[in-house]
Amino acid sequence: MTPRQMKLGLFLWATGHHIAAWRHSDAHVRAGIDIDHHVKLARTAEAAKFDMVFCEDAAGLREANVQIASQTSRSIGFEPISLLSVLAVQTERIGLVSTASTSYNEPYGLARAFASLDNLSGGRAGWNLVTSASPIEAANFGATGLRPHADRYARAREFATVITGLWNRRAAGHDGESFSVRDPLDVPPSPQGAPVMVQAGASDDGKDLAARTADVVFSAAQTFEEAKAFYDDLKGRLAAYGRQPDDVKIMPGVAPIVAATRAEAQAKYDALQELIPDEVGVALLSSYLSISDLWRYPIDGPLPELPEGEGMKSRQALVIEQARRDGLSIRQLARYFAGARGHWRLVGTASQIADELQARFEGGAADGFNVMPSWFPGELDAFATLVVPELQRRGLFRTDYEGRTLREHLGLKRPIRN
Amino acid sequence: MRKVEAADADMVIISDSLPSGEPSISPFEATTLLAALATVTDRIGLVASASTLAHQPYNLARRFASLDIISHGRTGWNATMRQNPREAANFSRPEGFSDDDFRRRAKEFIDIVRTLWVGWEHDALLFDKASGRFHDPDKMHPMDFTGEFFSVRGPLNVARSPQDSPLLLLSDLEQADFDFASRRADVVLLNEPKPPEAKAACDKLRHRAREAGRDPLSIKMLTVADARQEPDGASLEALCLASGCDGVVLTVQPHPAAFEDFSERLLPQLKRHGLIEAHPGKTLRDRLELDKDGWP
Ligand SMILES: Cc1cc2nc3c(=O)[nH]c(=O)nc-3n(C[C@H](O)[C@H](O)[C@H](O)COP(=O)(O)O)c2cc1C
Repeated sequence: MTPRQMKLGLFLWATGHHIAAWRHSDAHVRAGIDIDHHVKLARTAEAAKFDMVFCEDAAGLREANVQIASQTSRSIGFEPISLLSVLAVQTERIGLVSTASTSYNEPYGLARAFASLDNLSGGRAGWNLVTSASPIEAANFGATGLRPHADRYARAREFATVITGLWNRRAAGHDGESFSVRDPLDVPPSPQGAPVMVQAGASDDGKDLAARTADVVFSAAQTFEEAKAFYDDLKGRLAAYGRQPDDVKIMPGVAPIVAATRAEAQAKYDALQELIPDEVGVALLSSYLSISDLWRYPIDGPLPELPEGEGMKSRQALVIEQARRDGLSIRQLARYFAGARGHWRLVGTASQIADELQARFEGGAADGFNVMPSWFPGELDAFATLVVPELQRRGLFRTDYEGRTLREHLGLKRPIRN
Repeated sequence: MRKVEAADADMVIISDSLPSGEPSISPFEATTLLAALATVTDRIGLVASASTLAHQPYNLARRFASLDIISHGRTGWNATMRQNPREAANFSRPEGFSDDDFRRRAKEFIDIVRTLWVGWEHDALLFDKASGRFHDPDKMHPMDFTGEFFSVRGPLNVARSPQDSPLLLLSDLEQADFDFASRRADVVLLNEPKPPEAKAACDKLRHRAREAGRDPLSIKMLTVADARQEPDGASLEALCLASGCDGVVLTVQPHPAAFEDFSERLLPQLKRHGLIEAHPGKTLRDRLELDKDGWP
């Protein structure tokens, strides 16, 4: 039996994950309107044998303040289902996962789109279920504002039930709280049976839904202890739904900066950090803390006491915990956060980064990682040419694809058909 | 599809197979198929049907704006003005819509999408790394719309499309839609079975367009004919003349044999007769000789 190997996803984000990525001298500044750029990134990841590329999504701007928004590259990009449809014909093996919201879609429509993507790609599609925490998105879908967290998750649970029913060809006809569907799906099943279900919610409701429905879970964690606690918690919830620990792959985000020496990697990181305008950093931090007026507080003072928000509860908790643990001022916290939005940051040589990944993987805190290059294409190229071969040398990562479908890459069972 | 392109057809219109009770013949939803086709062709226009019941305007506007960037300006949206009776039932509206509600809703939906498409000015993106200005905030316009059926703040989170806005095709029109169509549509598909009826519809639409202050020739009228009727050059030419239309949309069943016959026999024959001609333009608007931004 081959030893357990880690899974790798490439988290696409046009110019890169660092908030100032687009200002890097070698970053592709037109990434958000250049489809060929995205095709190249996906092919780089495929050549490196990544399990999947992953597209995030929000149906709205990222930042409400127009002056601040205009200092970031995040207000424009491709709608991810059309982007992945292109990648489906421009790549051959790599999995293709896109985010789509349960709050602003209907299960029948999304079931058709993903089933179609699954067919176009020969069984490589996946859906990242999110409940959409931003009030900016909510304003594009009605006048009543962001609905409470619990309501969004109630809708998400029903959505997941209906969409898996449609994909798995279970008897049609659903008449529920939020949705009703009469007919069976009118798109035939793909070679992998049904798209892979991905989820990234980390609140109690989120973890519970993931334990019930997800094949892959993305997460954010800073320390080994946080990552391990999340991993054990989620795997522990599976039995209640009759599932085995290996049925779900947990893949925390990691934002690596790699170079030939640690000093060189650190210099690359510092140079990027220099490009962050303070107000942009603080605005990004506040959006994840569900607070609108963080800029009122002294920037070199501590984070104020914050009420629990209705947005991303888990990320808010993670940031507050980090601020307390490391005694960071708002400025320091904002600058750190701007690099990877609370995900794990690694700066070092290929072997140092491989050591860290190996420790979390073998220590039972991850089944793989969702790789978040700081800027594109440079940091992806660096990861693919330096870190991936190091992981392969250690036997921690595949040297070739085992199968054709995303389920096969991930070692997942085909969905059960009733 | 490459054969259709090689024959210099202006565009393909991909209909969206929605539940009609029969098993599906296409494994693909129309907009995802369009994206895939955009990367394996480079001149032909690509139009997908998408229903106003199956989508939200913000989501659909993003999808088509993206497709227009992906295809380098060859995309259009075909919106139907008639509801599919089964569709509402699959989209959480078991009670359905009255025809009148459906139409008012469709018009509101279409207007939102068109406004979202032009929310960013052409030169809004600055890409200025040194000053840290990615775009000009004054050239990005939210729409702040609250209507009878939808409320949308905007702006779109997709850049201005290469065609300014993707093409808008309207189909399945009733008389009651003519005013709307004459103001909004780039292309109208006329489903009238007989040339005199098509001609009457055509004339009326052009007349209304003129009244609305629009160049009546800036709407292209296409009449629909079935490719199975074995049309030849002369009969299609006669159809255009008799109906006053600018062209013909031939419907082909998505079966390999039907498609092969269409692309390998019929189209080359029409081209030989000079009925299809190559256009130098890059975008679909160029090809159809439409204004870049044709709406009042
Ligand atoms: C790696 C990762 C990627 C995510 N991508 C998205 C995204 O694209 N869109 C989104 O709305 N939320 C995204 N989220 C947020 C969550 O999916 C979830 O919606 C949010 O955390 C709120 O749920 P919670 O309160 O259960 O955490 C992402 C989270 C993680 C860890």
